[in-house]
Amino acid sequence: MTEAAWGKAKVALQTTVGQNNYKNWISPLQLMSIGGGVAHFSVPTSFAGTWVERNFSDQLLHALADAGAGAHRLDFSVAEAATAAPNNTNATPPPAARIAAAAAAAEKDQPSASLDARFTFDSFVVGKPNQLAYSAARRVAEGGHVTFNPLFLYGGVGLGKTHLMHAIAHQLSVDRPDLKVVYLSADQFMYRFVRALREDGTMEFKELFRSVDVLMVDDVQFLAGKNSTQEEFFHTFNALVDQNKQVIISADRAPTELKKIEDRIASRLQSGLVVDLHPTDYELRLGILQKKVALYKNDYQGLEIGENVLEFLAHRITSNVRVLEGALTRLYAFGSLVGKEITLDLAQDCLVDILRASDRKVTVEEIQRAVSEHYNMRLSDMIGPKRHRTIARPRQMAMYLAKQLTSRSLPEIGRRFGGRDHTTVMHAVKRIDELKLADSQLADDLQMLQRMLEA
Amino acid sequence: MPEQLGFDLPVRRALGREDFYVSPSNAVALAKIDAWERWPDHRMVLIGPAGSGKTHLAHSWARVSGAVFAKPADLPGLIAAPAPCILDDTPEFCQDEAGQEALFHLLNAMRAAGAPLLMTARSAPARWDVELADLRSRLTATDTSVMEQPDDALLAAVLAKLFVDRQLRISPELIPYLVQRIERSFDAVHQVVADLDAAGLGTGRKLGARLAGEVLDKRDASAP
Repeated sequence: MTEAAWGKAKVALQTTVGQNNYKNWISPLQLMSIGGGVAHFSVPTSFAGTWVERNFSDQLLHALADAGAGAHRLDFSVAEAATAAPNNTNATPPPAARIAAAAAAAEKDQPSASLDARFTFDSFVVGKPNQLAYSAARRVAEGGHVTFNPLFLYGGVGLGKTHLMHAIAHQLSVDRPDLKVVYLSADQFMYRFVRALREDGTMEFKELFRSVDVLMVDDVQFLAGKNSTQEEFFHTFNALVDQNKQVIISADRAPTELKKIEDRIASRLQSGLVVDLHPTDYELRLGILQKKVALYKNDYQGLEIGENVLEFLAHRITSNVRVLEGALTRLYAFGSLVGKEITLDLAQDCLVDILRASDRKVTVEEIQRAVSEHYNMRLSDMIGPKRHRTIARPRQMAMYLAKQLTSRSLPEIGRRFGGRDHTTVMHAVKRIDELKLADSQLADDLQMLQRMLEA
Repeated sequence: MPEQLGFDLPVRRALGREDFYVSPSNAVALAKIDAWERWPDHRMVLIGPAGSGKTHLAHSWARVSGAVFAKPADLPGLIAAPAPCILDDTPEFCQDEAGQEALFHLLNAMRAAGAPLLMTARSAPARWDVELADLRSRLTATDTSVMEQPDDALLAAVLAKLFVDRQLRISPELIPYLVQRIERSFDAVHQVVADLDAAGLGTGRKLGARLAGEVLDKRDASAP
């Protein structure tokens, strides 16, 4: 019965969800059973389950009902064979999963964009550079008498503007559920406005935005050059300020510095309180990392990270908190993947693209120079015919390093060592590989040279 | 006798995950792709030199994730309705202001929807030419899977695969012979296989070490 119904439902679904979606998402589903109003499906991966549930629930339920197998809820479980993870880790899914759930919960027609559950006042690390902005945001989040309107937050990329705005929204939703709070980015404001224009819904649009109690618009610099949207934004803004409703704006620069924004709008934007978030200092960055590590304790149980790694990151990644936090997240992801403690060496390895200014490749000539300097010999002897051991051994080491650190072929390396044969290079590589195990001094020298060349 | 004309026809490549050879130089990158359901912020940048198999890996990921390969023109649609997708050679998407803005909104929309996004490139996002600061920081903060230039084992495996892709029969000593003599890069592997194919076709000779030696000599002679 279920099988026949599912077959029928699948045929209908091909048209309702479209061929592509059908092939990717519906056809791998297997209907296991229907009972108690719940349809149980087996899916290849947990993501597929989440995705189908979020995007195709209605169509699925509808198709099942039409096929005579009514259910009011869907349940997805991962097929046994597919759960064999490629690499076993002791970590639970990262917090990102929680956001996805929050995003899914957000109703489509709500004017407010979804909020990141992680961005609360509790998780905001306060330091000298952001103290003022933090205090102003907290004040606004009390939802009491409007003292400064608008609150204009600005600062460079990744310094916490969005975090503070989400935190205000979270706080208000707890303390003042009676208030209608709308948070969205400037481009979302624009998309909605353009859609309203197209669908002849400008009246609803105006009503919607002018009936809110707290309006937050993020990244207002994206309105640059978009004149009609700016105009609409300006009217909304004025209407709300006139009604004494709180408006909070953020941008990546001060109101006066905004380009392609009309002067009258820019001047209105600075009529309230303008606060900037300064670039972070070392202490603040370290504080941010420590807070993040505390949060990760639960998600990545048993994964250790040294304090020296945090100090290193806080010291080296100075420009941007987003990149700083991203680096830490990458280290956790990598550590849990390979099941290793996150040491300084591992961090340097894993983050080489951020830490180093360029991908410069080591050349054979640089290797020859470095090795001859290290052993106090002339560069010309590197490529010359001398066979004395004090010269031949460093030459072999240089050949070995050339094989390891460059992508040159053996014949090519031979040519660059005074036209030697590729078998000579091969012999050198083999010889050094053996010596490395027996001679710890040589192994140390090699490691030091390699580090120096790659730095 | 004139050489037989050979045509440089596109070769049908085997693109399944099972066709992917795992060696120390790409093992971590593969493991990261396989763990795609736990990517931080649901996105990943797959980095590797030309010919290292980025597109191959992206195709096999598309099969398990249901992702589609997106072109710049597809971005507005994906921003409105996020779905798992792949941006092959992502720096191509960032060439102008409009492209960068579209990618910025795509990253935000995909993250909010929890839809996985795989970006491929030859270099790390920190090296891309991106002026939009908000996009730049998001890209730089994204986790990366790096496929290094091949080690000797991988070099041998790729050679073998390319010969099979071209349906060429080779004598057994050819692969070790080549591994010791060609540059350790994917580019060099592709080039030498194409050259050998052409030389074999033109002369009807067996694909072995002797022919390979001539092909390599000929190339060295014509190199500057």
